Amino acid sequence: MGFEIGRTGIGRISRREALMLGAGAAGSALLAPYMMLPAQAADHPALGTYPEGSSGDSVFVGIAVPRTGTYAAQGEDEIKGYELAIEHLNNGSELMSKISSNIKKGVLGKQVKYGIADNEAKPNTAVQAQSRFISENKAVMITGSVSSAVAVAINKLAQKEKVIYLPCISGSNDTTGKDCTRYSFRECFYAQTAAQAIAPILVKNIGKGKKIAFLTPDYTYGHTVRQSMEEALGKQGEWTVATNQISPLGTTDFSTYLLNVANSGADVIVNINFGRDAVLSIKQAKQFGILDKMTLVMPYNTPFIAEQVDPDTMAGVYAGTDYWWTLANDEKYPLAKMFNDAFSAKYGSNPEWGANAAYMQIAMWADAVERAGSFYPPDVIAAYEKGVEIQSTVGPVKFRPEDHQLIRPVIIVKGKKAADMKGKDDFYDIVEVVDGGPLMQAPDAFGCKLGDAA
Amino acid sequence: MVATPELGTDLLSWANFISQMFNGLVLGVLLALISSGLTIIYGTLGVLNLAHGAMFMLGGYAGYAAYQATGSYTIAVIAGTLFVGIVGIVMERGIIRHFYSRPQEDQILVTFGVGIVFVELVRHFFGSLALNVPAPGWASGITSLGFMIYPTYRLAVVGIVAIALVVLYIVLYRTRLGLIVRAGIEDAGMVDALGIDVYGVFMIVFGIGAMAAGFAGIVNAPVAPITPDIGEAILVQTFVVVVIGGVGSFPGAVLGGLIAGEILSLTSMINPSYSQVMLFAVMTLVLVVSPRGLLGSQGRE
Amino acid sequence: MTMARRSSSLQYWWPDVLTAIGLLVAPYVLPSLGFSQDTMNRILVLGLFGIGFDMLFGYMGLLSFGQSAFFGTGGFVTAYLLTSTGLSSVVLGLLIGTIAAAIVGFLVGLIALRRTGIYFAMITVAIAEVFFFLENSPLSAFTGGENGLPGVPAPTFYLGFTTIKVGSGWSMYGFLAACFLIGMVIARRIMASPIGHIMVAIRDNPLRAAAVGHDVKRYKLLVFVIAAAYGGLAGGLLGVMQGYMPPDAFTFDTSGQLVMQTVIGGLGTLFGPLVGAAIWLYLRDFLQGTLGLGASWKLALGVIFVLLVCFLRRGVIGAFVDLARSLRGKRTADDEEPGVIPEQVVTGLEQSRPMVAARSLSAASDAADPILQTRALSKRYGGLVANDSIDFTVRRGELRGIIGPNGAGKSTFFKMLTCEIQPSSGSIVFNGSDITGFGVTRVCQLGLTKSYQVNQLFSGLSVRENLTIAVVAELRGPFRLDMLHRVENVPGLDERVEEVLTLVNLSRRADVPVSGLAYGEKRRLEIGLALATSPSLLLLDEPLAGMSPQERAETVQLLKSIRQGRTMVVIDHDMDAIFELAEQITVLAEGAVLVEGTPQQIKNNVTVQEAYLGGVHEA
Repeated sequence: MGFEIGRTGIGRISRREALMLGAGAAGSALLAPYMMLPAQAADHPALGTYPEGSSGDSVFVGIAVPRTGTYAAQGEDEIKGYELAIEHLNNGSELMSKISSNIKKGVLGKQVKYGIADNEAKPNTAVQAQSRFISENKAVMITGSVSSAVAVAINKLAQKEKVIYLPCISGSNDTTGKDCTRYSFRECFYAQTAAQAIAPILVKNIGKGKKIAFLTPDYTYGHTVRQSMEEALGKQGEWTVATNQISPLGTTDFSTYLLNVANSGADVIVNINFGRDAVLSIKQAKQFGILDKMTLVMPYNTPFIAEQVDPDTMAGVYAGTDYWWTLANDEKYPLAKMFNDAFSAKYGSNPEWGANAAYMQIAMWADAVERAGSFYPPDVIAAYEKGVEIQSTVGPVKFRPEDHQLIRPVIIVKGKKAADMKGKDDFYDIVEVVDGGPLMQAPDAFGCKLGDAA
Repeated sequence: MVATPELGTDLLSWANFISQMFNGLVLGVLLALISSGLTIIYGTLGVLNLAHGAMFMLGGYAGYAAYQATGSYTIAVIAGTLFVGIVGIVMERGIIRHFYSRPQEDQILVTFGVGIVFVELVRHFFGSLALNVPAPGWASGITSLGFMIYPTYRLAVVGIVAIALVVLYIVLYRTRLGLIVRAGIEDAGMVDALGIDVYGVFMIVFGIGAMAAGFAGIVNAPVAPITPDIGEAILVQTFVVVVIGGVGSFPGAVLGGLIAGEILSLTSMINPSYSQVMLFAVMTLVLVVSPRGLLGSQGRE
Repeated sequence: MTMARRSSSLQYWWPDVLTAIGLLVAPYVLPSLGFSQDTMNRILVLGLFGIGFDMLFGYMGLLSFGQSAFFGTGGFVTAYLLTSTGLSSVVLGLLIGTIAAAIVGFLVGLIALRRTGIYFAMITVAIAEVFFFLENSPLSAFTGGENGLPGVPAPTFYLGFTTIKVGSGWSMYGFLAACFLIGMVIARRIMASPIGHIMVAIRDNPLRAAAVGHDVKRYKLLVFVIAAAYGGLAGGLLGVMQGYMPPDAFTFDTSGQLVMQTVIGGLGTLFGPLVGAAIWLYLRDFLQGTLGLGASWKLALGVIFVLLVCFLRRGVIGAFVDLARSLRGKRTADDEEPGVIPEQVVTGLEQSRPMVAARSLSAASDAADPILQTRALSKRYGGLVANDSIDFTVRRGELRGIIGPNGAGKSTFFKMLTCEIQPSSGSIVFNGSDITGFGVTRVCQLGLTKSYQVNQLFSGLSVRENLTIAVVAELRGPFRLDMLHRVENVPGLDERVEEVLTLVNLSRRADVPVSGLAYGEKRRLEIGLALATSPSLLLLDEPLAGMSPQERAETVQLLKSIRQGRTMVVIDHDMDAIFELAEQITVLAEGAVLVEGTPQQIKNNVTVQEAYLGGVHEA
């Protein structure tokens, strides 16, 4: 790469000179950083992949999601959402223009190309994959996550490389809290709002003063959800913690954890595990006879869990989610219907919430870029931070400028028995669509410091 | 990030202790069987088989394929075990045999590489997603043991693996082959001197060792779903078992396996995240106190 | 100079310059071959990581699957300091990380190096796993657990006239390249130092390395620590490079990948890991990207690895070297340029101990008193008594012969004298001090050594290199940290080696590898190795065994010529030779002293004749 990139002679020579100079002076430690090159575009200095990434008639978007391992099923769902959204952008679609009238065909008239990589839900693999998209493909935006550990790592990468990053599924408070960055914007709901939304419903339906057994995956997502749930349930229903079983991401045998739960005297299992971990922990909890004695709650629900576990096990289970397709039955959510239709036309099934988050992230990014009128990252960030309200599949939403978190509702659902299902993927009843805005913590409560745009 | 302060203390009850002891037994017999395979291969051939974890994994997948084809758990177990046995024999004939005269490090490297090839082959054909083999009908469901409720299949695993260990014991201690194998572990030179076809013995032993791992792999499949990389963690635990028990010792492997299972289970009563660390701590302790392991022989080094 | 002709390039500076040029040119060449900036940076980090591992495994023969422990330790200490403590100097952070990894390496080495071979490999695997679990749970407050530590800053250099902020572009490459270059130069210096030679000797024959007076355990630990330090630095650089310290750094995969890359590139080359990492990452990008093989890229790499281990054990670099050699033909020895040696390193060896004959000279001064005395020395194996209460005295300057029928316990007796094995009871006094239980290295350093019944040579090295190993043990002592001093600068080394070469009449064969020697020559070298440590008491265990009559005659002459000013004890079955050589003869039978006397007395002794009935013929 490198030396073909500079389109003008100036860029080429200056870099070479810098290289030689550095070599002569200190054996090679002194190479002038590429970012310090003089401005090439008229109005903006070079920054990140700008202007190289947007100087042709297409722009590149880097997508890295888990396609193997614990979170693979959710990663594949995200890909569906991304591909549908990019197809809609490139061809122009009614849904896109309903989301925002700013969105036209393409983004600033350029076609969107994309690459997909498997991040294995591992931060290191994700960082490598996205670094390659940035350095080789000059990605103008990178996106994708199922693990918050990945989201947090890419947050920092994005800030360092000055490329916009859009996490997809990421439930940790840290993503827009202590590990927030100026270059990252989160669409989905998260630990704190999930807990605040589901706690009153749990207290109302299960009662006060219950004892909780937490099943917590051992990383930022698990710990912040546990903390938020513990606080919310303690405050609102005087619930106490009987045990907190922390398991590594990717655990396959939960027996030792479940025996501890079985002997803990808890009334309610709050299962924070996600993806395959959630599926296996629930299946095995059933085998250890725990679900007969304790009530299961999924504050941050895993897409496809009901079909993977089996609906009857999930029947009556309260769960917090980002999107559930039966929202479309409510006239308040016309875009949900359009999205479901477009999605099932392309893939033959209703979308889960990973696909929804992916689709909305792409749409809102297109909106921000169109409003900025440029791919220059600080301009795009400024457009995001205006906090303009747009329409989404879950109603009107807008970004909170202080921490780049989308202000959006949380959907609380309850599992249905197989016998009550009215179709192959009718796994849940929507209990309530809880308005997220009033629930959210103060923007600085989790220590968010965004950093600089340029 | 920090666990809740009261974590663990409440769980130190007798009921939980007995439950976890029992769970440790399930884990322990499985580790004992896999480790026996590793240890008799090393004891007889002098080869540390780093592909042993992959053998465990192959057993699971071969069994899975057989289950998909026939729907029978029994056939899955037999097919998985035999397949891995054949893989072991082919591997010994095709590759390992040419490494007996090469440095030990080369043997380790080549088995390490073969292990990776196995894992990646499986990934290529089966993908990376976890696959399930259901428990057989007679062993599915829940059994109440009075003090605890336990999945029936996990109970069955203890019995099935115990039988396998007894079979292995009989082969090692009640047959001519076993006599040769044990003599070889004691003194590799002697077997040579007796004019026994060592290479034939080596091939069979490698096959048996691989079968032990493969059998464990398919028997464990209904307990935890199979993925191409399940063998890796097992391999590491097997090393610990073998080091604790004594390299080359069948009784050592069994004892080490049971100890390891209990350590993993009982530590997790206090804090599961320390269980692996505790396992390695015990290994280090054994090494310091008794470098040859608890029941290690003088034969190899 | 003359030493280390085989590993010739190690002593020159031009490979360093070539490396520097290569690193400078790479950004102009490799990108057009499909290497991205990011890939090149990673190659450098892995290459640096591998330098330490190659020293450990490629040169010293210790196969560790636990290097990830140090990679992760260095990485997380550096990352933690830079992200959470307010430490702003990246270089300082890297330095502390490196030191932390070295300390951890020291502690781990204390445990892991208790064993060798497969035990060592298994223990390193287990230890690496411990670190992974520690990082992931108990220490997650410091390491971020599964999250790792994001936000590791890149360094900034204030140079007075300008400030250079290393960013993510080529400046990061430059920084990493500089680190790699420094690491490589240091590694090459270490390999050119006496320690580098001792490492190779340890791989080749650890027993003999210890027997000529090197403290093998401490050298192993030292190299283990060096490898850990390289791992720690590379780990720190990984965090700095990608602005993120991943928990994966601690996984077994990381260790395994390092092993594979090193083997693919070429063991014992220092550059092997760099080449291996380049091939690895290039194939990963190529197979995944261009060919769209997805996850199967690792399968292809696995197959390549197995094939290399089976057929091309020396890796890609080794293959090229072999190819180049066969194309060029044998190099003559004439390409030496004495002027090349750039600097005279001032060593701490200037007032080093006196040379070859010195020890023996002082010994000869007081001819009458005993140099060696054993009291009631016994060795029992279970119920079997190998040596039974042997009282044995040798006076200074004496040449003693020991004979006895097979199974009389002669070799066991020698092994106890050199402290290779521990006596069951009794004591050994050498030069007035009790050396019982000292260990073979310490005893050799005191001036007591032996030549072995079965050759114990460094079979991968040349005659000269063999002797060098032994001579440096005497000149430097059992352990010395002269890592950056060139071996040829060890004062007196060359003269001593030449002297021994002349003594054992191998001067003309000095640069022949051991494998090219005739049997008799190997036996002479075996004696030479013992002689090279300038022992004041030299034990020779069947020096004539297996020789042709002519070789015997030559060797007897050799023994006569070296006895000047030395005390020697010779075991042999060749009666004529013993009677010709020895002044006093001790006869052992059934583990005990049968009789002692002059050759004449022994010849005429009836009990000896009886004991030897049958025994003498098999000699």
